[in-house]
Amino acid sequence: MAKAATQLGVIDESYEEKYRRFMERIERGEKIEADDWMPDDYRMQLIKLIAMHGVSEIMGALPEKEYVPKTPTIKRKLSLMAKVQDEVGHGQLLIRVAEDLMRPLGKTREDILADLLSGRLKFHNVFHMRVHSWAEAALIGWLVDGAAIVTQKMLANTSYAPYGRALKRIILEERFHAYHGEDMVIALGDGTPLQRKMMQEALNNWWTALLLFFGPPEESGIDSNQDLNIRYKIRTKTNEELRQEFLDKYVPQILALGLKVPDDNIYYDEQKKRWVYTQPDWSYLKNYIAKNQGPRSQNRLKLRRIGFENNAWVREALLAKQKQIV
Amino acid sequence: MTHKEHEDYEVYEVFSQETPLSKFESQFSLLAPTPEIALAMAQENFMRRDEDPANIFVVRRKDIHYMPPEKRPALRRLDNKDYRQPAHYAYIPSKWRELKEKNKVSMAVRGGDD
Repeated sequence: MAKAATQLGVIDESYEEKYRRFMERIERGEKIEADDWMPDDYRMQLIKLIAMHGVSEIMGALPEKEYVPKTPTIKRKLSLMAKVQDEVGHGQLLIRVAEDLMRPLGKTREDILADLLSGRLKFHNVFHMRVHSWAEAALIGWLVDGAAIVTQKMLANTSYAPYGRALKRIILEERFHAYHGEDMVIALGDGTPLQRKMMQEALNNWWTALLLFFGPPEESGIDSNQDLNIRYKIRTKTNEELRQEFLDKYVPQILALGLKVPDDNIYYDEQKKRWVYTQPDWSYLKNYIAKNQGPRSQNRLKLRRIGFENNAWVREALLAKQKQIV
Repeated sequence: MTHKEHEDYEVYEVFSQETPLSKFESQFSLLAPTPEIALAMAQENFMRRDEDPANIFVVRRKDIHYMPPEKRPALRRLDNKDYRQPAHYAYIPSKWRELKEKNKVSMAVRGGDD
């Protein structure tokens, strides 16, 4: 098809031309806005990634919320509540971004939440796990948030501008989360023998989930959308690169707390400049987490459903056009 | 909320002003049924940490006119407008010094305030 130039000089391009120009913009490092032309698979990858990120923030508030009534002091309760509120706030930001992307498909946030409850939309593996003790709640604030910060810092450079803007806000608040977590684990890790024992057990229980957090490495033979997302500069680093960054930052902190990394074979290869560690069973993500068959998957989804139903009256009461009471 | 009820919610863009002399800064967007609720949500969602803002306001997104993607390239300026920039005149302070030196202008000549 030849170009058909209109009077205004607006050029009616073929799909191939639009795609080529889009890729040129991506390669120049330009940012894409919601109303820009984008290929369908770019849009679909973004929706999948951002909707999952958004619901994970909301689902991530649940295991932490479980510990609000059980905090050891009133100060811990206040800071934990502030953090839970932040997580839900992050969910709101991300779901807004996803919603704008879904508009041309005629979908809204109701579809995101319906997909979460029906199991079509995944949420992050760590939020499928059971939290056994206050030390584990502290460890989540330290290492799960730490892992999230590593991922989000990378994603903040994404080619999709609205997602990048949301992440900039989120990362500012994560600086509080990181200190919040470190404050809790320093108190326990530098505490009594019993507190230190609790901290070590917490680390033992969560180590595998933390490695799984970043997803399977490229060479694991498990399909993922990494390549496509890197080509579109939605993300700029691989799962394994992020995991290595996480280990770079947190193994020294684990050791500084006098804790032992629960992997007898882990070491840092000075020549290759990378951590070598015992590979977890990557198929757990596909076979259990993706099917919502983790230890607490169903329980947390149920909690979300109950919350959604119990709060329906608030959403209705807020409606601009009140239903007539006959 | 059902799809039907969703139609009663609208996207609001949230702006804030740090001090009375600051410019208005876009914060983010949110979904709300009325401007009043949008304001309350804006404060709760976006104003939990920063310094107390001087003011916040919300605008229905559909009331904002954006430059459409095909016109945005026209926002790029030709790179030949240096003369609009103070940096273009950066030679001036040293030139003044040079002239004063050359013509032996001293504080005494000026009537002196030293």
